[in-house]
Amino acid sequence: MAVKDILVKKVITLSPEMSAGEALQKLLEKEISGLPVVDTNNKLVGMFTEKSILRAILPSYVEKVGHFVYDADSKKLAEKVQRLSQIKVRDIMRKEVVTAGLETPLYEVARIMLIQKIRRVPVVDKDNIVLGIIARQDVLRALVKNKELGND
Amino acid sequence: MTNKAMLSKFVILVVLAMTVGFLSTFIGMQQNQALAISIFLCSVMGTLFFWEFRLSFAFLGTSLLLLFKTIDLKNVIEFASLEIILFLVGMMILIGLLKESGFFAWLVTLLIRRKNLTGRQFVFSICFISSLLACAVDEVTSIIFMVAAILEICDYFEVDPIPFILTSILATNIGSAGTVLGNPIGILIATKSGLTFEDFILKAFPLMIVCIIALIGIILIFYRRQIKELDQKMKESADNEIFIKLISIPPEKRLRISLGIFGVTLLFIALHHRFEIILGLENNTILLIMPLISAALVMIWQWRKAREYVEKDVDWWTLLFFMMLFVQAGTLRYTGATDVFAARLVNWAGNNPFALVTSTLWISAIGSSILDNVVLVAGFIPVIQGFKDFGFSLPALWWALLFGGCLGGNITIIGSTANIVALGILEKEGLKKISFLRWFKIGLIVGVVTTSMVWLGLTVLPYYK
Repeated sequence: MAVKDILVKKVITLSPEMSAGEALQKLLEKEISGLPVVDTNNKLVGMFTEKSILRAILPSYVEKVGHFVYDADSKKLAEKVQRLSQIKVRDIMRKEVVTAGLETPLYEVARIMLIQKIRRVPVVDKDNIVLGIIARQDVLRALVKNKELGND
Repeated sequence: MTNKAMLSKFVILVVLAMTVGFLSTFIGMQQNQALAISIFLCSVMGTLFFWEFRLSFAFLGTSLLLLFKTIDLKNVIEFASLEIILFLVGMMILIGLLKESGFFAWLVTLLIRRKNLTGRQFVFSICFISSLLACAVDEVTSIIFMVAAILEICDYFEVDPIPFILTSILATNIGSAGTVLGNPIGILIATKSGLTFEDFILKAFPLMIVCIIALIGIILIFYRRQIKELDQKMKESADNEIFIKLISIPPEKRLRISLGIFGVTLLFIALHHRFEIILGLENNTILLIMPLISAALVMIWQWRKAREYVEKDVDWWTLLFFMMLFVQAGTLRYTGATDVFAARLVNWAGNNPFALVTSTLWISAIGSSILDNVVLVAGFIPVIQGFKDFGFSLPALWWALLFGGCLGGNITIIGSTANIVALGILEKEGLKKISFLRWFKIGLIVGVVTTSMVWLGLTVLPYYK
């Protein structure tokens, strides 16, 4: 089985010019952990995920200082959450995105998800135009279904 | 940077290095010496203009030296100075454990915690903690924690953190000259000069403290307005429960054990020379194995995470660069290129120790305001070793090199790794960018004043002769 057999073609995308606050609302609304960001030609330019937002609102040094002191109601944190409406998706999205093609085998997609620790892989053509998206659940569902079919 | 711009920069760099190498033949350098100079220069300029590519440059350069028989394998291995690399590996693992145990947050908050803290006291605390922390761990780890702490505190009082962060960076660079541990050039100089940790404590540490006092004086005048503002804000929220809570964390059991291991390590490192004499060991043996023993204990205690410490907390990228750099600097000595340079310098200084110390101090200070100080010191060490042939084996020359290399880092915004790391954090936190000029104004004053004081100390006081 390859990507083209299970591809979800209806994909919600974000614009790089959209505010990060608005994009976050969209993630929460759709109960999705991340969405692809495309330009006006539907070309993939990045991924906007829950992680991008966490990274934008926590101090940049949290990873380096180990345990640290936090104010229970940090003003800075609140300020940064508020500032999300002023920054653009392009400023905090992940720019290096791992993608798959229509012919990529499912096992390869599964491997990418495991190794890169990502939940969804955008599917693009050779010009980087987004064709759809594949989530971890889609892969697992397909693998299980495939086995059931084989058993019949 | 576009690929084309990068390529042209690369070509300029190689041509420039080759030209200097070629020109050096006119001042009496032989072919192999000229090649060694060219390749060393490539690495030096690589760190300046191609920061991301510096390791590739260093690998290629060392390979070329071998290919052209400028140096042999045996000497490559010797000059790579595995002892220094292992020392740094051990310290990095130990610091990784400390980091994880919450040591730094605890230390910083413990020292800032004080009722009715005033603006001036805050500046004193920043200067002393920054410098002492840099002495005990290393400048890069120390500055990350200081910046993080200052940001949190200034955020709490709603004052501009920049003046206090600049103060902390300046103090960190000065402090890194205080012991062997503060800066990679400390251990580099200690192993190549035969100076012990005790020598550093007796000679370098007091000079460092004098520089810190001078720094405090300058800061109190230069930032008097900002300090006053902080002072007022602090008075307004004196005895504030939340602040006291924010800055005090009790040490957990894990932290106490980590603290114990670190303390014992420091004690042995500080007294390494005495232990070496008692046990009849070669010089610096205890100094170099202590971090290894402690790292081993840490990896036994936290064996499930041992691999993580080695892979994540050890900065292999930098260490490999150091090894290659040491080889290239060693080749300068091996080919005799630095002896030619040393002879010129001695000639120029007219066999005058005063002039030699002066020029070593100021050349290294000005040089390290632009270059990475490890690059500069690695290149300078063989020159000082070369002075020996002319009968100059002055300890003052090593101190001049150490202080020049550390204090020069304060002069410009790119002068030291600590500056770059701290500014990187500020940028990521979305604070106003510090311009080259804003830094230079205070950096130059501090750099020149502190270097002058060290210069006076080294040339006038009989204690340093």
